[in-house]
Amino acid sequence: MSRVRAIAALQLRLFGRARLAVVALVLLGMLSAIAAVTGASQASRMAADRAAAQMAANTQFANQPDRHPHRMVHYGTYALRPLGPLAAFDPGVDAFAGSLIYLEGHRQNATTLGAARESSGLIRFGQLTPAFVLRVLVPLLLVFIGFAMIVAEREAGLLRLQLTHGASTGALIAGKALALGLVAGLAALPALAALAHAVVQAPQDAAVAALMALAALLWLALWVLGITLVSVRARSAQAALMALVLAWAVLVVLVPRVAAGVAALAYPLPTKAETDLIIHQELRGLGDSHNPNDPHFAAFKAALLKRHGVTRVEDLPFNYRGAMSTEGERLTSQLFARHAAQLAAVQLQQHRLLEMLGVVSPAIGFAQASMAGAATDLASHIAFQDAAEAHRYRLIQSLNGLHTFQVRAGDDAARNRDPIAERQSRVSARFWAEQTPFHHQGPARADRMAGMLPALAVMLLWGAALLWLLARASRQEPA
Amino acid sequence: MTALAREWRLLAGPSRLGLVVLALLASMAVALGLADVAAIRADIARVVALETRETQAITAFAKGDPGEFGYYRNFPVWRMPGDLAFVAPTRGDAVPAVMRIRILALEGQINDNEAANPELLLAGRFDFAFVTVYLAPLLLIALLHDLWSGEREAGRLAALDSLPRARQRLWSPRVVLRAGGVVLALLVPLAIGALVEGTAPLRLGAAVGLVLLSLAFWMLVTLAVARLPAASATQAAVLAGLWFAITLVVPAAAHLGINAAVPLPDAAAIARENREDVHAGWDRPKAQTMARFVRQYPAYADQAATGVAFEWKWYFAFQQLGDDAVATDSAARDAGIARREGLAQTIGCLLPPIKAAQGLQALAGSDVEAELAFKAEVRAYHRALREYHYPYLFGGRTMSGADIANAPGFMTRPSVTSKADDLMQPDLHPSVQVSQ
Repeated sequence: MSRVRAIAALQLRLFGRARLAVVALVLLGMLSAIAAVTGASQASRMAADRAAAQMAANTQFANQPDRHPHRMVHYGTYALRPLGPLAAFDPGVDAFAGSLIYLEGHRQNATTLGAARESSGLIRFGQLTPAFVLRVLVPLLLVFIGFAMIVAEREAGLLRLQLTHGASTGALIAGKALALGLVAGLAALPALAALAHAVVQAPQDAAVAALMALAALLWLALWVLGITLVSVRARSAQAALMALVLAWAVLVVLVPRVAAGVAALAYPLPTKAETDLIIHQELRGLGDSHNPNDPHFAAFKAALLKRHGVTRVEDLPFNYRGAMSTEGERLTSQLFARHAAQLAAVQLQQHRLLEMLGVVSPAIGFAQASMAGAATDLASHIAFQDAAEAHRYRLIQSLNGLHTFQVRAGDDAARNRDPIAERQSRVSARFWAEQTPFHHQGPARADRMAGMLPALAVMLLWGAALLWLLARASRQEPA
Repeated sequence: MTALAREWRLLAGPSRLGLVVLALLASMAVALGLADVAAIRADIARVVALETRETQAITAFAKGDPGEFGYYRNFPVWRMPGDLAFVAPTRGDAVPAVMRIRILALEGQINDNEAANPELLLAGRFDFAFVTVYLAPLLLIALLHDLWSGEREAGRLAALDSLPRARQRLWSPRVVLRAGGVVLALLVPLAIGALVEGTAPLRLGAAVGLVLLSLAFWMLVTLAVARLPAASATQAAVLAGLWFAITLVVPAAAHLGINAAVPLPDAAAIARENREDVHAGWDRPKAQTMARFVRQYPAYADQAATGVAFEWKWYFAFQQLGDDAVATDSAARDAGIARREGLAQTIGCLLPPIKAAQGLQALAGSDVEAELAFKAEVRAYHRALREYHYPYLFGGRTMSGADIANAPGFMTRPSVTSKADDLMQPDLHPSVQVSQ
């Protein structure tokens, strides 16, 4: 063991002497620090902006004057996707997923906004975040620093010299790997510091963050093992570098993109416009509130009259128009829910296909795990949309309830032509303040951690395979 | 020719394989791009067809009332992929390829996102632009970085250099074959894609020029480094590092810098303000609303009087005032986005590979400028639609079947039209044949 340490120490000194490597490491450290600082400041600003926008929307709603409840149905409110503290480390899909939904009656609106829609085209090259640094930049830096560490010594005949001094091949390989591992740890430090900083803001996320740090270290360990393996097996330093850069380009750059392209093709998503049109069509099949002779609404009316033992809607103990609005909203929302579930199912199929392709490239799995931990993944986005829709439905039906029981039918019928009826059809402003504002916590911590497990398992498998190959190589290597 | 044939024979197995794989990847990217573009066109066509049926259903219950039509009828708008869209298609983008607008306040409609999977967007696209900008340079570097150092390390350099006219007979053919191989691996699939799409020759020429620009940049850089008296591994590391800095680090860092340098008006606040102004219309004195509207549309001064009962003309007037209330902020926001893109283009002028990516996206119509142009087209179309409906709303006229069918249709601007576009346009015209 002490021999491994000695070899590692020697290798570290050698790394330190390679000017290019030191410069690269320093540059990466600076980049990483920039990513960490801007990540933290951007995430906290965005989180604060969204919280403020949510508050503003809630306040505006609560402060509306006396109004007809159906006017409030159309006035609606907004739901903003909250941004958790760990988003400073990995903003994940945040830039590409809308962060604002307008909630109103009769409609399920699309999300709007999102950084991708307000940035230059450069955003498509990737965003400089701590997670990006760990996933993309650090592995390539390790390649540059470590590709030659064994093969170059063999080329120069130094390896044989060390072995004649009593070092075993295994100890040599372990020592070199340890040294590169320490460099990896050093390179990862600023990004992990960003994660630690985020945890200070939100101590309750400490366990999730620890798992995220573990995923990152595991990901870098795969590269340390892979680089060591290639450096042991390669014929020349140049060949080692070519093989490693190729592996990096394929695993980190190419496969995730191809996987996304394949997923989009394998499970096509309908456009929002088409879904909306289909919902309208289906709605006409269910019940057309514009049609006075519509069978569904006729049956609905008949059942209401019968239940209350009256023959005319005017004799009902409540406002029939409000009841009809409630029934209409129930019908449309059923369809919204079904189509949203279908959409989410397709998106999750795409997600699972990526997850499977993560076996080919652990970069995919690492990205998914990191986003799941940071609550900035697809599942978090879907959870937000579901929560927003649930809130929309609750709010609108509560307003329809006010329409049914607080607005007199006679006033309601006459309000468009009679100013007095119009005034009487308004209900008190205090009802608006009584509505529960939108609040969304995001996925539970246990779910986030569970979401990270498949990727961690895949990375462990890769690590085991690489260790096995390395052990075999160290037995075979005559040096 | 014989020199080139000799160089091909001398090319090592992995290098040949590299060229073949690049050609395959470029072909795959073009094929995926063509499939994407076809899917977008089909998406648009389906929405337009469904909308036609939807309009017929509205016709049945609106009974000629222009207010009912104005409220319920949607008009499809789209970004029809042009003849080069396949090099960087937009399918799955957050910005919809097709959306539906109503003549209500536009501000609450125009920023809607597509129901896309953000996880796929985050990964980035695998398209021809990606293969050109990311992958091809890596192969070029691999093929050319040890042009001299490789021979030096094999102990042959002095002998080869002492050959008469070594430059013309040996080094030039070697560079031409290797760089030419990379060029062909990209341009042949591009040409096939262009043939399928019937791309206009000038636009194809521009795309070819961008591909060559990026490759020429990397070839010059690689040869400059290859000339240095360093070990081949060092040269490879330096070049891969440069590639890494130019393709990954600089754009990501510049993105951060640009967004920090150009702040934008708060979009959520604009959305709320728009809603506030529209809904305040219900409570404002009607005469005030109509007076403000008439200042913008004096032609309706004589028809702007309102009674006590609800009138659609008043409703649509305050919808428009809601858009007016945020027009300045909204325009400032779009201008800010354009400014961000302008800065990014400046960075592209300094770094040819980035310029190539931006140029290909621009030719494909999937760049930020195209997005902003689409928004501007939608605004103009929305205005045309409103103004088509106002005479009916203010004049108290009913809308006949012909009036409904003659509503303006959405047309994409000429610069992104293509053969495919022309073919589809007659079917896509969103006017509706209404039988009454």
